[in-house]
Amino acid sequence: MNLKELDIDALTELFNIGLHRAAASLSELTSQRIIVDLPELWVCPLDQMHGRLTGVMGGELATVHQVFTGAMRGDAVLVLEYDNASRLAALMTKGGVAAAGRLDQSAREVLSEVGNIILGSCLSAFGDMLRVSVSFAVPRMHVESLDDLLQSLVVEDGELQIALLAATRFRLTDQEVGGHLIIGIGLASLEVIARSLEARELA
Amino acid sequence: MSQTGELIDLGSASSELLQSMGEVMEIGVLAVDRDLVIQGCNRWLATAMSALPGEVIGRSVTDVFPELANGPSEIAIRAALGGATVIWSHGFHGFLLQLPPPTGHAEYEFMQQSARIIPIQRAGRVEGVFLLIQDVTERVAREQALKQAVRAAEVASQAKSDFLASMSHELRTPLSAIVGYMDLLIGDMVGEVAPLQKSYLGRVSLAARHLVAIIEEILTFSRVEAGREPVYPEDVDIAALLRDAGDLLVPQALQKGITLGLLVPDEPLVMRTDPTKLRQIVINLMGNAIKFTDAGHVVVKMVRTTDRVVITVADTGPGIGLADTERIFEPFTQVDQSLKRTKGGTGLGLPVSRRLALLLQGELSVESSGDAGTTFVLSLPLVTHSPAA
Repeated sequence: MNLKELDIDALTELFNIGLHRAAASLSELTSQRIIVDLPELWVCPLDQMHGRLTGVMGGELATVHQVFTGAMRGDAVLVLEYDNASRLAALMTKGGVAAAGRLDQSAREVLSEVGNIILGSCLSAFGDMLRVSVSFAVPRMHVESLDDLLQSLVVEDGELQIALLAATRFRLTDQEVGGHLIIGIGLASLEVIARSLEARELA
Repeated sequence: MSQTGELIDLGSASSELLQSMGEVMEIGVLAVDRDLVIQGCNRWLATAMSALPGEVIGRSVTDVFPELANGPSEIAIRAALGGATVIWSHGFHGFLLQLPPPTGHAEYEFMQQSARIIPIQRAGRVEGVFLLIQDVTERVAREQALKQAVRAAEVASQAKSDFLASMSHELRTPLSAIVGYMDLLIGDMVGEVAPLQKSYLGRVSLAARHLVAIIEEILTFSRVEAGREPVYPEDVDIAALLRDAGDLLVPQALQKGITLGLLVPDEPLVMRTDPTKLRQIVINLMGNAIKFTDAGHVVVKMVRTTDRVVITVADTGPGIGLADTERIFEPFTQVDQSLKRTKGGTGLGLPVSRRLALLLQGELSVESSGDAGTTFVLSLPLVTHSPAA
């Protein structure tokens, strides 16, 4: 399929619904108002991701991976630069973890929980709205480089691999923390999404 | 939609495997069915509860752990029964089950935990959930101790700076009175003073002024360390500032029989910076160079690049070994401690200068071959922005 045929506006709407749900859960969890929005979304072949992301993010990255299977299969990742990750963990726990800027074990667990909520909400939104089945594995948290992250994306072999890349922004306590969501999928899964989006519009 | 969780079969073989893994990895495993009835409990968890597994199996989880009822924990268990995998981090929740703290951690009311709640699926249906509980009390206590140590160090550092600032202030006030009254006496303003007495009074005045200068240095250092040194940028003719500083220090150089050379353009060069701080750095570098040079010369040079001004102060003094080129910027350090006695000084001049250079968004470094003189290089941006900008 041609990537240009994909309805980016409808896809953005799906992400926004997922992030809206995630923000509601995170606000309840942390007893503070948290807004998560999506300033930009790109769809491109996975092998072009490196060029696109170099310069946007660098150094050590804190990532939470969630492999998903079902009608849509792939790997969803929340990516935050190390400093942003520790700032986000500290803000969300009101200084309870990562106060000194280090992602210690407690801070990594907090990020795993945050990542689980964000990725779970987005993938569920995809599943609900597109009426397709999605199963999740237990998320994994890593501190890794961009190269390692892109190599570790678990996407089906033997077909063109596509990445949905969404810039995200967490807003809480008058502060902003930027991050990215990467959903790596095969062309077959992208076709499932595209067909479901079309069916939704026709309906 | 059909959203399902991690595929874990509740079949007895895999259930037993999970329980055994729980023992090996020292985690608590609790299996709960759709009606929230406990179907399995491993020995690790039972021991933590001071119970036998048989005493809890078959009972409702909210009966065994009343704190779960209607709270976020029950919501989490129900979310897992709906198919979601739940991560329960210590940072957000503290603990999942009210279990006694491990031995040696009476400071906690309950065992500190992180947990996973994983749906158990059989034939496409969620049959129940596994609660996997990890005791993180030891780790959390360690992290807390580290955090407290960092906080205590910060408080101690702040207290030290406050002490230095207030002590210096208390010392400076009476010294100013000594200098002031001494000037009145030396100037014959309250009656004539005999020449020998005047000479002694002159020495007292000089010593008092020296003390004031040292105290000023300590005050500046403690203010910079405490982050209380404000920056006031304004348009400054750097060439004129260097010439004025040179004029001030020429007598000192003449007294030692060394030459003080200034290679500074005649035309004005205006930069935006804090003149008081820049003057303090320059006088300090030139004064230091003269102090440590017994023969030869001190040369001050200024070069402008596209967006910076680079000032070098080179001397023909004894030089600094490569190993010491960073140490001299540490507070209260002189490379050769014996010099402190002969040359004087607090050992704060260079640390203060470097910190002031950083405040002006510049850099101060040193180049020395170790035996043939030293060159200090001060590089400043043409425009220093005020911190609020």
